[in-house]
Amino acid sequence: GKVTDRSNGDALPGVAVLVKGTTVGTTTSVDGTYSISLPEGSNTLVFRFIGYAVMERNVDNASVVNVALGVDTKQLQEVVVTAVGIERETKSLGYAATKVEGEELTKARETNVVNGLAGKVSGVRITQSSGSLGGSSKVVIRGTNGFEGSNPLFVIDGLPISNSTPSNSNSPSGNASVDYGNRAGDINPDDIESMTVLKGAAATALYGSRAKDGAIIITTKRGAEGKVKVTLNSSTRFDNVLRLPDLQNEYAQGNYGQYNIRNTNGWGPKISEVQDVTEKNFLGEDVTLQAYPDNVKDFFQTGMTYMNNLAFEGGSKEGDFRLSVGSTNQTGIIENQSLDRYNVSLNAGRSFKDKLTVRTNINYVQTEAEGRPVQSSNSPNILTSAIYGLPRTVDVNQLRDNWIDPVTGEQIALTPDKTGNNPYWIINRNNNESDVKRAYGNVILSYKPLSWLTLSNNAGLDVYTENRFNKTSKGTFGALQGEFYKATIQNQIFNNDFIVTAERDITPDFNIKAMAGHNIYATEVSSQSVTATNLTIDGLYDYANATSTVPGQGFSQRRIIGVWGDLGLSYKEYLFLNVTGRNDWSSTLPVDNRSFFYPSVSAGFVFTDALNIQSSVLDYGKIRASWANVGSGANPYSLDYVYNPATSYFVQYSLSGTFPHGGLLGFTAPRTYPNFNLKPQNQENIEFGADFRFLDNRIGLGVTYYDTKTSNQIVSLDVPLSTGYFARTVNVGAVLNKGFEVDLRLNPIRTSSGFDWTTDVNFARNVQSVEDLPEGLESYGLASGWSGLQIKAEDGKSFGLYGTAWQRDPEGNFIINAETGLREVEQGKRLGSINPDWTMGVNNTFSYKGVNLGFLVDIRKGGVFYSGTVASLRSSGLAEETLENRGSIFIDRGVNKTKDGDFVPNTTPVQSMQDFWGRYSATANTEGNVFDASYVKLREVRVSYILPKAWLDKTFIGSAELGIEGRNLWIIHSNVPHIDPESNFFGAGSVGEGVEFNTMPTTRTLGFNLRLTL
Amino acid sequence: CESYLDVNTAPYASTKVEPKLLFNYATTNWAANRAGGDNYISVALAAQTIASGGNYGWGKGDVYDISPYSTGNTWKAYYATAGLNLIQAIAEAEKASPANNNAAAQAKIELATMMYEASTIWGDIPFSESWQGDIAYPAFDSQKSVFEQVIALLDEAIVQIDESSPLKISDYDLVYKGDMSKWKSFAKSIKFRTYMVMVDKDPSVASKIGQMLTEGGMVSSSAANFAFPFFNSPDKENPRYKILKRYSGVDAKGNVINTFFFANNNVLDYMKQLEDPRISVYFDKPDDVTTYNGVDSEEEADAETATVSMYLYRADAPEVVFSYQEQLYLEAEAYARGLGVGQDIAKANELYKKATKEALLFNGIGAAGAESYVQNTLPALTAVANPVDQIHLMQWIDLMDRPLEAWTQWRRSGVEGSEIPNLTQPQGTPAGGLIRRWVYPPDEATSNPNSPSPAPRFTEKTWFDL
Repeated sequence: GKVTDRSNGDALPGVAVLVKGTTVGTTTSVDGTYSISLPEGSNTLVFRFIGYAVMERNVDNASVVNVALGVDTKQLQEVVVTAVGIERETKSLGYAATKVEGEELTKARETNVVNGLAGKVSGVRITQSSGSLGGSSKVVIRGTNGFEGSNPLFVIDGLPISNSTPSNSNSPSGNASVDYGNRAGDINPDDIESMTVLKGAAATALYGSRAKDGAIIITTKRGAEGKVKVTLNSSTRFDNVLRLPDLQNEYAQGNYGQYNIRNTNGWGPKISEVQDVTEKNFLGEDVTLQAYPDNVKDFFQTGMTYMNNLAFEGGSKEGDFRLSVGSTNQTGIIENQSLDRYNVSLNAGRSFKDKLTVRTNINYVQTEAEGRPVQSSNSPNILTSAIYGLPRTVDVNQLRDNWIDPVTGEQIALTPDKTGNNPYWIINRNNNESDVKRAYGNVILSYKPLSWLTLSNNAGLDVYTENRFNKTSKGTFGALQGEFYKATIQNQIFNNDFIVTAERDITPDFNIKAMAGHNIYATEVSSQSVTATNLTIDGLYDYANATSTVPGQGFSQRRIIGVWGDLGLSYKEYLFLNVTGRNDWSSTLPVDNRSFFYPSVSAGFVFTDALNIQSSVLDYGKIRASWANVGSGANPYSLDYVYNPATSYFVQYSLSGTFPHGGLLGFTAPRTYPNFNLKPQNQENIEFGADFRFLDNRIGLGVTYYDTKTSNQIVSLDVPLSTGYFARTVNVGAVLNKGFEVDLRLNPIRTSSGFDWTTDVNFARNVQSVEDLPEGLESYGLASGWSGLQIKAEDGKSFGLYGTAWQRDPEGNFIINAETGLREVEQGKRLGSINPDWTMGVNNTFSYKGVNLGFLVDIRKGGVFYSGTVASLRSSGLAEETLENRGSIFIDRGVNKTKDGDFVPNTTPVQSMQDFWGRYSATANTEGNVFDASYVKLREVRVSYILPKAWLDKTFIGSAELGIEGRNLWIIHSNVPHIDPESNFFGAGSVGEGVEFNTMPTTRTLGFNLRLTL
Repeated sequence: CESYLDVNTAPYASTKVEPKLLFNYATTNWAANRAGGDNYISVALAAQTIASGGNYGWGKGDVYDISPYSTGNTWKAYYATAGLNLIQAIAEAEKASPANNNAAAQAKIELATMMYEASTIWGDIPFSESWQGDIAYPAFDSQKSVFEQVIALLDEAIVQIDESSPLKISDYDLVYKGDMSKWKSFAKSIKFRTYMVMVDKDPSVASKIGQMLTEGGMVSSSAANFAFPFFNSPDKENPRYKILKRYSGVDAKGNVINTFFFANNNVLDYMKQLEDPRISVYFDKPDDVTTYNGVDSEEEADAETATVSMYLYRADAPEVVFSYQEQLYLEAEAYARGLGVGQDIAKANELYKKATKEALLFNGIGAAGAESYVQNTLPALTAVANPVDQIHLMQWIDLMDRPLEAWTQWRRSGVEGSEIPNLTQPQGTPAGGLIRRWVYPPDEATSNPNSPSPAPRFTEKTWFDL
């Protein structure tokens, strides 16, 4: 007989055909045919195929039995790719795994594929660091598990790839704060078939230590059997600033109401009151002061993004291929900023004599970026403060035309003291450059000597070289003699998985699948950098042109060997049990402790099938549970006491000096006291969940509860500096993350005329708490900002923001200095959690005939956010709110503390609002600029129209779709003034977040898209 | 398989090192902290030796509001980047065969000086239990105990010095080039200064002061000043110059200018009264202004205000830890007060004049001019109502450019309310009095359960301060 797909009549190979009540069975061949001998007394055949409804057919002496299987809509027959590339039916899983189709990611394509996940998966939090072109994004799955951050594993077709965000070590002048992106951003979204997010330890147990923070498993597109297809996907988009600051336009620069060209602020006279006099402007001209309300807005331009992808694919019975070529070309919202990325990928497979299959997926990516801005503080090249800090009286057009003296070639400064750099000087002369060349890919050999046995080997390599070049030309204030920094970072990951799989039906009802694997994983990171200062010839960035050069280098290597086993049992396709065990040997642990074992158990029970519930309300119901234990190693070189040659010595305000000093070198003892007895860290995870489908699949609901405890953390625990060390490598402390996730799919309208409305809602709440800190240690720092601002872990609390807070009396009133009228402060106070209370995404899709409309709303509730940009706008008197009470008497509400320690209402007015805001928003004063980090964002909008087939009949075009797409269109709600609350000063690789300082503003993107299939 | 995993040895680090390499790293970090924004600016503004000029200059708000970064980085230098490396240098020197005793002594003298400084900033600090791998939470020693340990460590170093031995740190000693007699005199002077700081609270050390005066052997010429060099080449400049170079601006000729720090009336007024020839060395006045105009601490400066001079802030200005004139003023004070010696105003006057002359010479005043000033203009101790106060005032003026020492000098110059000079709380500082110490850096306070609780506030006096 032959088995076909009911929907299209295509042959179905690999369908299990069993004689009911016996162990006799076979599978269909590639053309869907089968033959089987019926034992005496049997009459019924059972046809089983993943994703299709099981069918039983009585033979009744027929010699040919053809069946057409229908797709099983009643059950969740979705197949997901789980750890080490194992494909499993969703219904068999004992844990939550969320699959995001590639289609979903390319609806409104993100240049950084990580951002495409924002708001789409429950429990997955994406935070963009900045609006830099090609900037980085941080991924946190189910809360941060470690004191050293959260770094989910990215896996492409079984190959773990790098998602690193190396910082600029040894770079001069605070240039460390350039956002060079995260390396998962190199992936071409058009190549992605699907992404599966594995959230819990049971799901990732087979990856072991590498995936304790979850894993994002990417499967790339392959060619399909049939005719060759060519697909073109082209987008043209326009980018502009999502959120501009609200500035005052009434006051000029100066001090206490007096005009002064030396200041770049808004504390001078009221412009309307000095119309009878002239003042010098930055060009030395006598002018009547006037405000230029759009001078900041006009600094920015419309950026352009062109994303094009061309894919050729095809296949036969024996093999398939897909070749994809993509380009992303962007120009920034600021002149001279650009990013060009090119991707080429080939995914090809071929089978030989049904037993041997070879597949390879090879990718090459090249990214070139120019003008990535310097952010944060202490560098002469910081752009955001140079733009936002423009006095209201500066005409940006005049500035654009007058940044360099045409005669002398010198910079035209905004002040006579030549302090602040002209932002046009920065963007015209001091543009950073960077490029990444990366190749990754793997070769998979699969051999099937017996129908139930498969041997496969997946060997892969991910190699990239990144070059960075920061330049500060001569004549830049703050680095008058010019300087530059060049760095090369090389990263390599080698991974090999050898897997043996045996799968048999022991009885028709009882299936067993056993797997055993061996894994080698090796990483190598190296960097070389040179900082060159004092240039002789302007614009010549050659080492020999500098009077001082300081080289730096780094290297680190780590290897893991693992063996593992996975035993999967299923009974009657409704009860599933999986047991795994993996043993790792890690190069980074002491020899005696380098071996560690971790097990997992998970089970799924489809009770609607087991109990044979036939209900018109409940279509499908499943409960699941899992438990897992995962270990992980340390950072390389944590064990030895070594002396390092020093390249620099610390000086505040990013002014560190360099060795040799006076011709002499310096060596230093380690900052971290090593631990010769480190143990692996341990993560224990319990998860329960249930999945339901109601009302003919109109409602789908998934709920999951989890509890993860990561203990014996291997951390560089900050120790009292009085020990002589900054930190000590220890196994200490635990982080608990408990939470629940709800995934709800509603299909409120589904009409016979073809109108369909689907809403996907995902909700996640995670509660983090720190436990088991050593006796006497209540908290310690995870990441440091400046002036006492810190991210800390405190016993019993979630990771939080700490810094200077207002002093309050027992009733909570601000304590105000009776002499100055200004608030008193105290240091080292907790100012809130950096984590949200909950996150939610709501994705709506409407379709009618060829028209599709979709929009995604992304919601974050809770947590705190500190903005250094807001602080600067306020302390400099440029922010709109600084207009309030100017020129009138202002008495801050609060109390004065008397000599006797009593509190009396404050009656002292502030001397001036300049003093008030100077105090309120001083960098040393954190609380004044801490906000609730909640937001509601319109993340994506897409409207598309599939052209009717009839229109294209006479053309070479197979199908065509036109779309309008928008990303980050609207901050519907935010509590942070002036800026987008989604920014992160610490960068994607750090545990720190919730802090921003002179971050490049994020962008809103709107454009159109054309997809053609030939 | 096992050897495949044996890749955990860092390739760019060494398990062995010569003491001189650690010593140089430590010394440079120490000097850089003293001259850098964390220590110099914070202390100079708080101790009121220079003025911020309000919003016209460096900006308000930094006074008494010392950033936890600054306190943390300074603590870090004393204990980690400098302190630990000196400890390791001592260990490496003493375990070498033959032992390098001079190198160990050099490191000990610096370490003792640093702990003295740290205690003058914070009062009670960890010392006896610091740098011991197995002690995770060092105890805080009382200031008295710290000073006594400083003296004991200096004594240990003095005994350990073997001037005849060629084993020492010489090429890597940027201060004394391995001249062990200078190290010895420096060690003795630090010891002497420590006793002078202790004596008001603990009069029993007066006899030690007397003994040291009799024995001599302390810093006895400007050649033995402890001055760490910086250089006029990129990234080797004095950090104070680098702050201006990076952030302050340049004049029309492209020369770095000082728009941040101004002449403080608390220094300038006294110098004017004394017709001190150093005024034009210490301060620059705007081109079109005829007089040197100072401002009070935190007062708004303007285009007429004199700035701290670019001479003091020059790129290759050394960081001075101890000077000959400082020694002479201390000796003058001991005689004027009769500390362990008979009170002798004439002797004190002689030393005070000599000290002042040295101070002028140090600041580039010609020998003849210096001599003439000391003989003709400087009021003699015998002619002033309170000779000790006069010595304190001259010490204060001399130390304007060394705020850490100036601050200690001011605190020990009299009981509360009668310090020299009389300082008042700057506008904008929180009520409660003048600053008398730094609060402990939050990092240490939160991570070391032995840190004093409640933590002393910045207005609380340390042990020596009456």
